[in-house]
Amino acid sequence: MQIQYDRGSFFDEAFNADGTPRPHYRHLMDRLNEMSPEEFNQKREAVDLAFLQQGITFTVYGEESSTERVFPFDLMPRIIPKKEWDHLSAGLEQRIQALNLFLNDIYHDQKIVKDKVFPEEILKTGKHFRKEIMGLRVPKDIYIHICGTDLIRDDKGEYLVLEDNGRCPSGVSYMLENRQSMKRAFPRLFPRSGVRSVLDYPDHLLAALKNIAPAGVDSPTVAVLTPGVYNSAYFEHCFLARQMGVEIVEGRDLVVESDDRVYMKTTEGLKRVDVLYRRIDDDFIDPEVFRKDSMLGVPGLVRAYCKGNIGLANALGTGIADDKVTYCFVPDMIKYYLGEDAILPNVETWLPYRKDDMAYVMENMEKLVVKAANEAGGYGMLIGPHATQAEVDEFRVLVKNNPRDFIAQTPISLSRHPTYCDGEFDGRHIDLRPYIICGEKTKIIPGGLTRVALRKGSLVVNSSQGGGSKDTWVTNYDD
Amino acid sequence: MLCRVADSLFWMSRYIERAENTVRLVDVTLQTLLESEHGSEEISFSHWEPILTSLGDLELFESQHPEESSRDVTDFLTFSPKNPSSVFNCIAFARENARMIRDQISSEMWETINRMYLFLKNTNAEKVCSELNFDFFHKIKEFSLLFQGITEATFPHQLGYEFIICGRQIERADKTCRILDSKRHMRTSDYAQNDALDAAQWAALLRGCSAFEAYHRIYASEVTGDHVRNLLMLSRTFPRSVLFCVNRLQLAMHAISKCSITHFSNEAERKMGMLISRLNYANEKDLQDNKADKLIVDIEDALAEIAVELSNRYMFMEIVDPAVELVVED
Repeated sequence: MQIQYDRGSFFDEAFNADGTPRPHYRHLMDRLNEMSPEEFNQKREAVDLAFLQQGITFTVYGEESSTERVFPFDLMPRIIPKKEWDHLSAGLEQRIQALNLFLNDIYHDQKIVKDKVFPEEILKTGKHFRKEIMGLRVPKDIYIHICGTDLIRDDKGEYLVLEDNGRCPSGVSYMLENRQSMKRAFPRLFPRSGVRSVLDYPDHLLAALKNIAPAGVDSPTVAVLTPGVYNSAYFEHCFLARQMGVEIVEGRDLVVESDDRVYMKTTEGLKRVDVLYRRIDDDFIDPEVFRKDSMLGVPGLVRAYCKGNIGLANALGTGIADDKVTYCFVPDMIKYYLGEDAILPNVETWLPYRKDDMAYVMENMEKLVVKAANEAGGYGMLIGPHATQAEVDEFRVLVKNNPRDFIAQTPISLSRHPTYCDGEFDGRHIDLRPYIICGEKTKIIPGGLTRVALRKGSLVVNSSQGGGSKDTWVTNYDD
Repeated sequence: MLCRVADSLFWMSRYIERAENTVRLVDVTLQTLLESEHGSEEISFSHWEPILTSLGDLELFESQHPEESSRDVTDFLTFSPKNPSSVFNCIAFARENARMIRDQISSEMWETINRMYLFLKNTNAEKVCSELNFDFFHKIKEFSLLFQGITEATFPHQLGYEFIICGRQIERADKTCRILDSKRHMRTSDYAQNDALDAAQWAALLRGCSAFEAYHRIYASEVTGDHVRNLLMLSRTFPRSVLFCVNRLQLAMHAISKCSITHFSNEAERKMGMLISRLNYANEKDLQDNKADKLIVDIEDALAEIAVELSNRYMFMEIVDPAVELVVED
């Protein structure tokens, strides 16, 4: 099969500007050339069927009775050569270090605020700043144990950070399943050696979880805390629990006794739990402290946490680092805490709560991407150049009335990647979510989830809005 | 084991068994209808009425289908989303329970249930109901038996396995009772010589329980009510007889509690022991007409109580609906 299409003015991951394949894609292209379209289609259908039968699905809300869908998987892998990955991985490590130092600082002395590097009012007005844990020492001073940072590439191919997901980043199960499916479907596509493995992710995760067990517990009991079967990522919660060999629990399975310890209800009575990999947001985790109406959470969990009787990953209060206004200050944090320049730049961003920025945003809204500071999944967003006048006007009012709750960014013309759509290969926009685990050491998993906007011309890669995914190969060579 | 996991294992298994038994009933009744000499809808429906009555579904059916056609009953029992124990709903509930605990069961078990669900979902209900597609019923039965085999061969025979056995055996014992009970509601002929009709009805019951061959091997005679009752209630070797089912159930319950079978450690075990004694020491007189009907109803009640006590002891949880708090992840 030959891959040829109009590359336009975009940065293409697989092709140079002159149309020749980039060196790290050459081997793969040769293999694809040898393959007939029939053979390719056969494999594609087999993979799709396997996903459906295994029930590797997510839930889409808002449609009739929450439909289950297979996450579309594109068989052409995305390849990242060694020198690019070394650059990314150094940048990600620097960033997660700074974020953890930042969280530890703002929940204790707030030096960064006193030194006027981070504005106090952003903290005070942060929806996800948790004053309940002020002064609490969390195990090993780690707040974000699992991070999924979203990266994009611009029209010159430069990697930029789009956002940090320091609460409950999802998608890692797709990274693992995609790799398994690729190996089964296309064993011959893999170079004989050189694609770095991602399959030990669950081992690293388990080690990082055990790392935050309460003091004095030698062989801790770890569990995954899920909102339940109706959550969009339930498949992933189960998958990770199974891979780590730990229990998956819902809030109703747990109880905090009068000794302020956490127990799960078993057929043989109560059994102590030491560490929770919780996939429930702060807001829902303990109705005694946060949202009173939550039935997903565990009454008393925060009490147990503050007494040091349960490890939580991620820690409470990391949501403030996910605030898109906080995001703008990460390069400053890196400078402040580490004395270094940020290796991976942010996307150019304006903060309407600053007077000058507000004026600029109001004037140029048609040219900008405007995002709500605390929404996820591609919701609450305006893409100026693609929006109608009415939508722009609506956002103008929203931003004017709630300047703190929005940011504005230059639209980035995301890089494109050959993707099999409607019977042929064509360029589609992609992003990258690598996964970072902070245990005793920081581990950047070599690979991640490449999400692809399957609709032609679309820049939205979210699974809930027509996105798919690719296997992501980090190679240990450059060409 | 988490109480919630025990609960899901129990119900996953019980729903699959329920689906299989419903399919058996529908299959056998449709086959019997083919042999019946009168073809009118009214007469056809009279074959279904006893089954709906013994399943406890007659009222629900009549409220949804006032015109009472045979085709509607097939749809009601097999595909209807409005009948909580339709085969489709049973499989959907089994899958929902399996989905909650898919980290606990083997991937083969999950994939079997998921395939069965997708198969049912993609089946043209109209076609099955109007063309009497026996292959379809056969396939569901096979799915259920495949699931049992896969469970046996891929799932550790530990605590969780015993909960699976409990769910299956309670449902199976209960359904055998209900199939027997349906005979009581069947039409009897006005003529003095009603033996032929009677025998045909008993034979249909045997087929519904896969017991037709077993019966002939044991009795080597024409089909009589006394023998059928004896086989389906008191056989210690036929796997769908009530006594066989509850014996296996008792073993599973005591494996869970680790209490000796000569004692009891909870209310479920006490009631179980009493039920088994009653069946163990039943004699021919206990199986005759009125007394048999009473015994059957008593067994059904006892099984229901045992299920409640099991739930109280091992699975008790408040029922919450997590769907009301949907959270989107990043």
